[in-house]
Amino acid sequence: MNQIKTISKNDLNNFINKLIQDKNYEVVGVKSKDIRYVYGPLENASELKLDHDVTIIPPKKYFLPQYETLMKYDLEKQFEVKPNMEIKPRIIIGIHPYDIIALEQMDKVYLDSQKDDFYKKRRENTILIASDIQNVSDRSFAASMKTNTTDKGFDLLLTNIEDKYTVTIGSEKGKQLLEKYAKTEDAKESDIKKIDETRKKTINKYKKKVKLQKEDWPSALVANYDSGIWEERSDKCMECSSCTMVCPTCYCYDVIEDVSLNLKTGNRIRTWDGCMLRGFTRVGSGEVFREERKERYRHRFFRKGNYLPARYNFVACVGCGRCGIACLPDIADPCDVMGSLAHYKKSDDTARFFIKQKTEVAEANTIHVPREATIKRIEKLTDAEKLFEIELDDKKPLGGKPGQFVEVSIFGIGEAPFGLASPPSDSPTFEIAVRKVGNVTSKLHEMSVGDKIGIRGPLGNGFDIKAMEGKHLLLTSGGIGMYPMRSLIKYVLDKKNRKNFKNITILYGAKRPKEIIFLNEIEEWKKCEDTTCKLTVDRCEHGECWAGDIGLITTLFPKIRVDKMDSKNTIAVVVGPPIMYKFVIKSLQTMGIPDENIFVSLERRMKCGVGKCGHCQINGVYVCKEGPVFNYKQIKVLPEAFE
Amino acid sequence: MKQKPRVAIFDFADCEGCELEIADLEEEILELLEIVDIVSFREVMKEHSDSYDIAIVEGSIMRPMDEKRLRGIRSKAKILVALGACATTGGVNKIRNQWMHDEVIRDVYGDAPVQGNELFDVYKTKALNEVVPVDYYIHGCPIDRDEFKHVITSLALGKKPEIPRYPVCVECKKNENICQFELGAYCLGPITRAGCKAICPTHNSPCEGCRGLIKKAETECVWEVLQRYNLSYEDIRRRCTMYNYGKEECQVDE
Repeated sequence: MNQIKTISKNDLNNFINKLIQDKNYEVVGVKSKDIRYVYGPLENASELKLDHDVTIIPPKKYFLPQYETLMKYDLEKQFEVKPNMEIKPRIIIGIHPYDIIALEQMDKVYLDSQKDDFYKKRRENTILIASDIQNVSDRSFAASMKTNTTDKGFDLLLTNIEDKYTVTIGSEKGKQLLEKYAKTEDAKESDIKKIDETRKKTINKYKKKVKLQKEDWPSALVANYDSGIWEERSDKCMECSSCTMVCPTCYCYDVIEDVSLNLKTGNRIRTWDGCMLRGFTRVGSGEVFREERKERYRHRFFRKGNYLPARYNFVACVGCGRCGIACLPDIADPCDVMGSLAHYKKSDDTARFFIKQKTEVAEANTIHVPREATIKRIEKLTDAEKLFEIELDDKKPLGGKPGQFVEVSIFGIGEAPFGLASPPSDSPTFEIAVRKVGNVTSKLHEMSVGDKIGIRGPLGNGFDIKAMEGKHLLLTSGGIGMYPMRSLIKYVLDKKNRKNFKNITILYGAKRPKEIIFLNEIEEWKKCEDTTCKLTVDRCEHGECWAGDIGLITTLFPKIRVDKMDSKNTIAVVVGPPIMYKFVIKSLQTMGIPDENIFVSLERRMKCGVGKCGHCQINGVYVCKEGPVFNYKQIKVLPEAFE
Repeated sequence: MKQKPRVAIFDFADCEGCELEIADLEEEILELLEIVDIVSFREVMKEHSDSYDIAIVEGSIMRPMDEKRLRGIRSKAKILVALGACATTGGVNKIRNQWMHDEVIRDVYGDAPVQGNELFDVYKTKALNEVVPVDYYIHGCPIDRDEFKHVITSLALGKKPEIPRYPVCVECKKNENICQFELGAYCLGPITRAGCKAICPTHNSPCEGCRGLIKKAETECVWEVLQRYNLSYEDIRRRCTMYNYGKEECQVDE
């Protein structure tokens, strides 16, 4: 039971003014802005509007600011970067319970096993003085989401009980602040009774009530994934992402480079991004993974009502109604959208779009700032592809598993993910292969041996080596899928490991003979015991030299022998362009290889690499966290995986 | 150190306001000169050279003689950047495209003898990309100086500038503005390219679409909004005329 005090309205003003005068804190609170309310710095207690209905944007801006400089770098030096952790203690006054609950949810995402160091520091340096709701926004349906009140998550909670306020103490920090600056009395039983009465009275002020209980959202959504309502409603969508900008449970972000005009210094800045925007899923090569408007529109509701619930066990909507106010065509309000699903059938398989997977994470002080590394060797593979050998400057081995990836930073240019092309080793160097497609890859191609880059990782889940042991391996790659496949091939063919696997068959296809990479190595692989290598190209122009097959990758399958008996003992791995999977997997199934024996590695926009920024999501999974390697049996049920 | 790129700045039909934004960088101009050599910039210097890597071109194309000059610039430049709304969409200069050519001449010059004078030999206004290929765009009326800096530093670093392809609402919401529609005004923000930091709605003035439309006004979602706010299609069309007349004729989605 929380300790409760009372404070007169006058003394509350004095308390707040004393907080404002305390120069150790920045004091912010809810203030008027024309016909609406915003959080802003308080100069006097009289500015504070504890009777506000809702603010334009939620207090998430104090924990994940609209624009936040994560680090500063010096471009005149080879590698100089400093995290920008100038975070001042702050007191936020007037937060409504639904926003407190949203913040507690955000903690689950941002303070999980891969903690966001900036968020953590802001959170630790903030005191929350919450306020019970006095006036209700026309669009809010918090009461029916059971987020209209809360008994935790705040340091202090103010409740207006007519002639005075009660102060519920939620933490030691809050208690100390109150003791230091406020004149309070112990609350009497009659005061505490009044808190309940006030809250009950407020419930009657809600004009909106969600018809579908939030506990039923995950199942109603699963049953309605293919419903026509997504298209019907999204036809009216302006694709402005106002709904996500104002949402207290939307915290996806993008990271941009901001370089000074003389190119001497720069900042790496994180800014809010929105999944309603078409560019949200765009990768370096230009491909957009959630191309249709209805897919983006559906994603927002599934993320709130199904994906996050499956992962963290909460519905990520707190009923504040901000999106309803912000959406011009009025199609964003979950109260209406989820309500419209109330009479549909429900599904029990609520976690259908999620894959529970433990990510092996190396302890790190920061998830953002890269480690210094040096390019040790560059090898030209094709006209557009190069292999880079990279050494971490701390001389520690990168570690990790085949199939994992790293984020490569070039300050001033940006950061991009690259699958490891080499197997883990004791040496401090590792390899990545790079095709020139976007800004980061083009810059890498211009770099020389000795140049410095930044590395984060290894990240994600690699190939399941355990599952492969004692089995035949059928490794199929197409195009640049050979990069990560090489990390696996080199691992399994390594003398130390070779005995753990039975026959190894390597199938590899490229568009043209000149795009076949690692040809010398392939010749070596062929010489290994019980190892078969087959190569094919889509086409071979007149005059090109090519001794292998011609035809799509699937034409190789009839040429290899996998006995029916052995198919159950075969693990197949497929890495290639999106178009390849469907056909290759069909061939594998025809050979009798069960789905659970098939592993794939998928490409998406892995921006943060730690399951925060939201860009790489395939339904409920983060490719950067649960992937990029997936078991086919698990991933195939996710409709966004192989579209 | 690598040789600095040579930059030339040119103008056609415009108010030179976007060039003024560059000149207004003041002390920062010195920083700019650390990374590029400016070899031609009529608004601020006398010197001129025809040898340049990057041409930054402001203004709309109105006459055959402009077209010829622009083609000349294009042939000399490795990279051509359109500067400001007049160059990127045709801007306010396109307003006159809605009237007959003779009518415009008569209205503006009356009985003055302009016939046969090539300076007055005007045709329908064109954005730069209706005449020559444009590599990069710096949108706006006027341009946003930070975006200019972003484009210039990106080119100097050898990367492709990242110009927003999403609407002004994104930046407007980040600025915690009350929606212009909620205040009883109507605004082109939802269908206009961001990158201006939503400067107009932030100063309580509705968006006029100067950075180019990223969605046509004739789409279902726009109709839905017009209906909800008791606006007519004519209202939105009129506002689009200011910077985006004949949008379908010009390509602004690079």
